Amino acid sequence: MSFQGYVRSDGSVGTRNYVLVIPQGIISKSICEFIPGTKTILSVDHGSGRTANDRETIARVLIGLGKNPNVSSVILHAASPGVGYPELRVERLADEIASAGKRVEVLDPAKDGGTYGAIVKGMQRARQMVYEASRLRRESMGDEHLCLGVKCGYSDATSGIAGNPAVGYLYDKIVAEGGTALFGETTEIIGAEQVLAKRAVNPKVAQAILDVVAAQEVRAKATGLDIRTINPVPSNIKGGISSLEEKSLGAIRKAGTMPIQGVLQYAERPTGKGLYFVDNWMGHLSIFAGYVAAGANLVIFQLGGGGVAGRTLLEGSPSVVAPFLWTTANPETYRAAKDSIDFYSGTVIEGSETPEEAGERLYRTVIDVASGTLARSETLNYSDPIDMYLQEPRF
Amino acid sequence: MASQDEGQEPMPVKRGLIMHPSDNVATVLEEIRAGEEVAILLSGAALTIRAIERIPFGFKIALQDVPRGSVIRKYGESIGKASVPVAKGAMVHIHNLEGVRARGDLERSSVG
Repeated sequence: MSFQGYVRSDGSVGTRNYVLVIPQGIISKSICEFIPGTKTILSVDHGSGRTANDRETIARVLIGLGKNPNVSSVILHAASPGVGYPELRVERLADEIASAGKRVEVLDPAKDGGTYGAIVKGMQRARQMVYEASRLRRESMGDEHLCLGVKCGYSDATSGIAGNPAVGYLYDKIVAEGGTALFGETTEIIGAEQVLAKRAVNPKVAQAILDVVAAQEVRAKATGLDIRTINPVPSNIKGGISSLEEKSLGAIRKAGTMPIQGVLQYAERPTGKGLYFVDNWMGHLSIFAGYVAAGANLVIFQLGGGGVAGRTLLEGSPSVVAPFLWTTANPETYRAAKDSIDFYSGTVIEGSETPEEAGERLYRTVIDVASGTLARSETLNYSDPIDMYLQEPRF
Repeated sequence: MASQDEGQEPMPVKRGLIMHPSDNVATVLEEIRAGEEVAILLSGAALTIRAIERIPFGFKIALQDVPRGSVIRKYGESIGKASVPVAKGAMVHIHNLEGVRARGDLERSSVG
């Protein structure tokens, strides 16, 4: 099958067509408030006092977001040109993003007439850039240009038996058609890693899966705590999940059944197509930005139900430039927040649809949204800040 | 004494779902009251089991007696072990099942 997408000069295909303004600050906000078709990120971390590894992760996120196929061009604001950490120098970020064939404009308050001058220049450039972007037309492109990212959350019994399997069907289909699919949440594969390792394309990848899980389990044990006081989280337990192993075995069903091609770091771009495991953390403010920086052009939050009672409005998690879909198989969650939810698979539990039929319907929903239909979260002009997954201590 | 239901339409069968043939628990797809029967669906065959207590939607029912310390299986894999003896038809949750992975608390007690 195919979707209607924006073809970029590097051959990648976008499902959206934004001008991205990074990093954050009053300059980005001023530009984005006035110029439609622009996006920015909100993050609390600029790398100050961070280790080289964590600074490199921040750079990987910023560069990755800039190179994402949903971005037509980029405005970079140089916060402290020439004096920043080497990993985060504006020249480096600009060069790497430009290597994907995108126009990159740099704003430097020191050269552009101070903060006020940089805002004016940024607005002028952004107006040109969104105009330029608007001249591009969507074209019919194959599913091999889709790259999906998924997280499951507030998981309950409906997640493992219907919600995640529908996503798993979608993942199998996208991968079978040559596309790319990312899943992760290392803590939530503890107890299920033996199942995933058997699906690795080769022994090296199998070992990499076992290694990231072993490392995470060592970190968990080092706390001296019973993991059940941390994860499964209270809402999982309220929803019927009794142990981390049970949560993990339900969680991996969202990854379908295809071979696993590799293990990626947070925000790392896959080198090929197919299904990849990402060694990341479940936090919704962190995980989606990482998938999108890795190249995902559409992301999914598969929702259970425990702990969201009373939530009649579900705002999307920050996915910056990628459409963000909510799916659920929990009938109460769906009833409460119907106008926020893109896809419901509780039909499988109710017996009115087979898992395959639900999965096929999810696939068509994804193709629609990839082709331009708004995800429900896109009908709200709201974003939380992103919280990059940085693992080393601060000094 | 005849039950209240006698002579009326039979109650619709309550359903449970087993994820793998080797599992010793199933997930109930609607709330089950104590004493009610649950039809467990497994690749065409149906197994009927009587709940010995109330089990809410989405929670697990034991398909057989599970001795303390024995593995509880769902999805064909271990989801932990029975922390107390579990009777057939009982609800299985954190009060009688404990996960064994990533248990820092056990690590600490085994060290000293």
